[in-house]
Amino acid sequence: MPLSKPIRKYISETEELLDTTITLLRKPDAPPGGALIDVYTYRLDKNIIIFPANYIGLLKDFIITKQCTHLLIKGAAEEKSGYRVCSFTPDSVYTGMRQIYYDALKDEVKKEKKLPVYKLLEMLFILYRQFHEHINDLPWNPIVNARAYHRMEQLRKTQLYILLKDGKRDMDEMSDLTEIVPRRYFVLDKSMFYARDLFLAKILPADKLMPVVNIPQMKKFNHLEVKEMLTTRWTHTAWYQSKYFGDSMLTIMEKQLDVEWNEESTLDYYANLYRKGVSLTDALVNYMSMKDWFIWEKPQHLHVAQEKASEYEQAALKKIFGDLIED
Amino acid sequence: MPETEASRLLKRAEHYIKLTKYREALAVIEKVIRIEPKNPLCWYLRASAQIELEKYSDAVSDCEKALAINPNYADAWTKKALALYHLEQFGPALAASTRATALNANDASAWYIKGICLEELGKSEEAEVAYAKSLELEIILDLKEEGRSVRK
Repeated sequence: MPLSKPIRKYISETEELLDTTITLLRKPDAPPGGALIDVYTYRLDKNIIIFPANYIGLLKDFIITKQCTHLLIKGAAEEKSGYRVCSFTPDSVYTGMRQIYYDALKDEVKKEKKLPVYKLLEMLFILYRQFHEHINDLPWNPIVNARAYHRMEQLRKTQLYILLKDGKRDMDEMSDLTEIVPRRYFVLDKSMFYARDLFLAKILPADKLMPVVNIPQMKKFNHLEVKEMLTTRWTHTAWYQSKYFGDSMLTIMEKQLDVEWNEESTLDYYANLYRKGVSLTDALVNYMSMKDWFIWEKPQHLHVAQEKASEYEQAALKKIFGDLIED
Repeated sequence: MPETEASRLLKRAEHYIKLTKYREALAVIEKVIRIEPKNPLCWYLRASAQIELEKYSDAVSDCEKALAINPNYADAWTKKALALYHLEQFGPALAASTRATALNANDASAWYIKGICLEELGKSEEAEVAYAKSLELEIILDLKEEGRSVRK
C-alpha cells in the first residue's frame, strides 16, 4: 500500500530506535482508531499495526503515526525500566467491586425505579472492567496525540478530524446505561474524556479546521478554532455535569504532562513520556478514589488476569455477599 | 436479465479480492478473460490482484489493456498510477493519477497517489493541495460509513 514520505520515514525511525520490525495490516473490521499488537505486550516476533480497510490515504497515515508513537513509548519503557500496565488481582477486583456496590446502593435509595438485583450484580464487574480498560488507555491518548501533533506537522488537519470523531464516540459511550450505572461513575468516566479533550484543545491551538470547509457534514465546525470546537461540544451536551470533575482532571493532566513535545526522538525521550503516563494514571486513579483498584504489572500478568476474570468476579461477589451468591 | 457466467465469475473474483485471496481471484479472472476478453473490468480486477501480489509490471500491462478498451476508465487509471508508483516511476504515475482525478474528481485514492507522487518529485506545495482534496473525500466516505454502521 502506498504511504506518504513522512510516514515511511517515521516507521523506519521507529524500527531503528527500537531495533524491531513493524508490519502494516489493512482489515475491514479493524477498530476506527486502529490497533497495535506489539512485541512488548504479546509474545510475538514483530509488531503489527492494524488499520481500517476504508482508510486509504491520510486517515490511514495518521492511525499509523499514532500507533508508532505508542509503540515507541512502550519499547522505550521496556528498554529503560521495564514496560508495565495496569492489571488486576482477586483483591483489587474485590476492592473495586465493593466500592461500586456501596455507591450503587446510595444511588438506588434515591431511585423510583429500582434496578433488579441480577442487573446490579452484573453491573459491578462490567463497570470495574470498563474503568480498567479506560485507565489503561485514556492517559496515553493525550500523550500520543500531543507528540504526534508536533512530530508530524503534515497530518495536523487529519488529526483534528480523528480527534473530533474520537471525542464524539467517547462522549456517547455508556449513554444508554445512565439508568444503571451509579451517577458518580458515569460522571467520572465522562470527566476523563472531557479533561483529555480540553487538554488537547490547549496543546493543539494553532490550526483551524480548514480542510473540511467543503464538507457539508462538517460545516458547523467551519472557522472554529480547535479549542472552541472541542469545548463547544462539551458545554452543549447533557454531560455538562462532568465539567466540575473534568476541570480538576484537566489541572491534574496539565501538571503531570509538563513535557517539551517537540524534542528529538530518542529512547530517553520516549521513556520519559512513559513515566509521565504512569504518573498521570496514578494521579487520576487517586483523584477518583480508586487507589487499590489496579496494580502495575507486566503485560503477562494482565493476560492471566483477563483469562481468570470471571473467576475473580465470582470470588469478589462471594466475599461481598457471602452465601447469598451460589457457586 | 439472467446473470451470465462471466458476471457471476466476476462477482466471485471481486469477493476473493475483498477476502484478500488474490491467487484464487486470479484463477477466476483467467476464466472470465477467456469468455470476455473485451470486458475492461476483467483486466482491471486482474491488475488489482497483481498489485496485491506485488507484480507491478504485470499490473501496469493489465491496466493498459483495460484502458485500450475504455480510455475513460477512471479506476484503471488510478490502479495504473498505483502500480507505477510502486515501480518508482513517479512521473508517469503522476500523469496517470492526474488523468484519474480528471475523470473522477471524487476518487480519494487517486488524489492521495497524486499527492505522494508530487511529494517524491519535490513539489510539496502541489502535494499539499492533492492531500487536502484526498482527505476531504476520505472524510466524506468515513462519515457515510459511520452513518451506515449507526443505522445497522
